[in-house]
Amino acid sequence: MPTFYESLPNDCPPLEASQVNEPTVVYRLVRDNPPTEEDFRSQRSLQPGKQFRNVTECQACGLSVHRLKSDSALAAKLPSLRGRQPCRVALDTGAGFLQQTGKPSHHTWWRLADYPVLEHCTVETL
Amino acid sequence: MKYVQYRSTIYFYDVPQVIEARDSFGGTYVGVLTSSDARADQFLFVGVSPESLREFREGLLDLRSLLLEFGEHEWYTAAVQDLGDRISLSEQTSDIKASDWLPDEGFIFHVDAEESSVLSVAKGTDRLAIELSVSPPESASEHRVHVDTFVGLLSGFQVLVKHAYRSAVKDLSQSARKKVTVADAHLLDVVVPAMAGSFKVVLSEATRSDLIGQSEVARAMARIDSLFETVSTPELAIETVKQNQGHLAGAFIRLVRFLQEHRTGLRYSWAAPDSDRHHASAISEAEATRIVEICSGIANLEAEKVVLEGTLEKADENKRQWRLLTSEGPVSGAVKDDGPSLNGVKIGALYRFTCLEEIEYEMTGRERRKFYLIERTPALDR
Repeated sequence: MPTFYESLPNDCPPLEASQVNEPTVVYRLVRDNPPTEEDFRSQRSLQPGKQFRNVTECQACGLSVHRLKSDSALAAKLPSLRGRQPCRVALDTGAGFLQQTGKPSHHTWWRLADYPVLEHCTVETL
Repeated sequence: MKYVQYRSTIYFYDVPQVIEARDSFGGTYVGVLTSSDARADQFLFVGVSPESLREFREGLLDLRSLLLEFGEHEWYTAAVQDLGDRISLSEQTSDIKASDWLPDEGFIFHVDAEESSVLSVAKGTDRLAIELSVSPPESASEHRVHVDTFVGLLSGFQVLVKHAYRSAVKDLSQSARKKVTVADAHLLDVVVPAMAGSFKVVLSEATRSDLIGQSEVARAMARIDSLFETVSTPELAIETVKQNQGHLAGAFIRLVRFLQEHRTGLRYSWAAPDSDRHHASAISEAEATRIVEICSGIANLEAEKVVLEGTLEKADENKRQWRLLTSEGPVSGAVKDDGPSLNGVKIGALYRFTCLEEIEYEMTGRERRKFYLIERTPALDR
């Protein structure tokens, strides 16, 4: 059984999620350059007592990423995400599980505990 | 004090970033997350017209423009601890543009495929199920759809499935093709004509899946998925259409053109009885418009190359028309503008005619096939 970076509810990740087992690039909007672990904590981890509506607990324990940098750039137009930069994250075997959860390229990433994300993350300009 | 109730999340990134809400009079509001901490999420709220919200959801209007339509006159903020609670709006008197809480220009929405009950329908009926939904202008504020929109959608989608199935079966080996081909395997029935609250139609394959739940229409739907997969990037979408050049490309372009003409996007999902999940895809009105624009500039995209073999019954060199008696009956056609001359052909001789086949659709939806000769060679006697 893999060990996840955060504590996940039962049946999480869902069956539809795929384990990352080949090089896969995703983009995560980060506040800091260089990024910190804080940039890669789920909403459940950042706000443990919060009630999330229309979001499964499983998704609240994952991280939003985009497969396309252009989608990251789009998200950064929103006021709560403005000022963040896309960090190109090179995922590979051992990174965890990924599931497409929005169009065109929004995915949720459930990260494995041993995956050194900061070593695989390069901040790019928008 | 004004109150609204959360209805749906329009855009999500870690948390709901853009939401739709309604007040007690049915007025529509869009809320945009401006900041978040452990105490509450801070939102900017603006009332929007149903038509403008529809245009935003179809990718025709960016978020900033949507909010400024009425936001320059009236806008609100709200501290939200739980989206399930009634949200109290605080009216603001300052200039919304000076707030720094508006999104930047150019935030264009991409249609999301919706949650679907199609998996349970497929398993319950033991037949592949497809759910279609559209959002034309007349549906923006009322539960209504024009008849020709509804009929055209069903007809266009059935034609797409037919050609996707034929295209998928062509790729099988001859022995595999013999085992699976069923003449009307592509046919669909409407099983749920209009689910309440939306324009969703549920279709089911007319022919039941085989004993182990494997569906022939699933072949077609997988091919259709590959066409819709890239619609948000028109340049990639055109490459996929070119790879499927012929009747399948033609049916896809015809459906997309229909969506553009009727000012709607399309969402669909499907599942086979042996599936453990459903497949879903969507195209917005803006994406449909863009694809139609690009495809109109590409020649012969919808024509399929076919080879006809038979005895030449008729050849008119001046009119550039011919008739070939094939094993499936007589086939008439013309010569393409840059095609070969009919000079020297022999009536009664065997020929192999390579043609571009184009399909025209009559008002009734019936297909008329036209053949345009591009190459001819004598065929060997058998």
